[in-house]
Amino acid sequence: MAREEVYNKLNEVFCDVFDDDSIKVNDDTTANDIEDWDSLEHINLIVAVEKKFGIKFNMGEVNNFKNVGEMVDTIIKRVN
Amino acid sequence: MNAYKFTELSIGMAESFQHTVSYDDMDSFMKLTGDINPLHCDEDFALKHNFYGRVVYGMLSASLVSTLGGVYLPGKYCLIQQIEIKFVHPVYVGDILTVTGVVKELNESVQQAVIKVEIRNQNEKKVARGKLNVGFLE
Repeated sequence: MAREEVYNKLNEVFCDVFDDDSIKVNDDTTANDIEDWDSLEHINLIVAVEKKFGIKFNMGEVNNFKNVGEMVDTIIKRVN
Repeated sequence: MNAYKFTELSIGMAESFQHTVSYDDMDSFMKLTGDINPLHCDEDFALKHNFYGRVVYGMLSASLVSTLGGVYLPGKYCLIQQIEIKFVHPVYVGDILTVTGVVKELNESVQQAVIKVEIRNQNEKKVARGKLNVGFLE
């Protein structure tokens, strides 16, 4: 799956989880850029991403993503 | 009190308990929340609006979902993250409610259990249904 395709699907997940259609994520997006991205929504986000892409993250990964770009790197590794 | 850890749960595991709603429950809830809406406090008002009597606060029924998570499933190490609930049938004082939770999802990466919840009255009528997401204390 190409990075652009991952981003298209991932952006839908972000809009859905945070109930905000104006969100546009990129490699540099972090929790500081989305007001409602707190620890609880992080859990909801991870579960939603796993379901969307049919993958599973491990516990270490979900706590250590520095930005959306790192999340996308991991998604691409899992789906390809 | 049960004390299931995340790794001790499996899909389909279930727990349930019963609670009979009393006038004391209603009065305590009213004092605690300040919800003096007459549908819950005034028998005549409730009858006039085609109910069989004072309607039990939906959130009082929903509070039993806290008990489900905190005492039964998973119990001691529960950290409630999210509750979704629909009130599908009125509850009246004296109703015997059976609260049941069934593990539907285990999300290992975030150590989260998703529990399907339903509450039925003494006539087996479903009065509320919903979903409980819980994490676990270390």
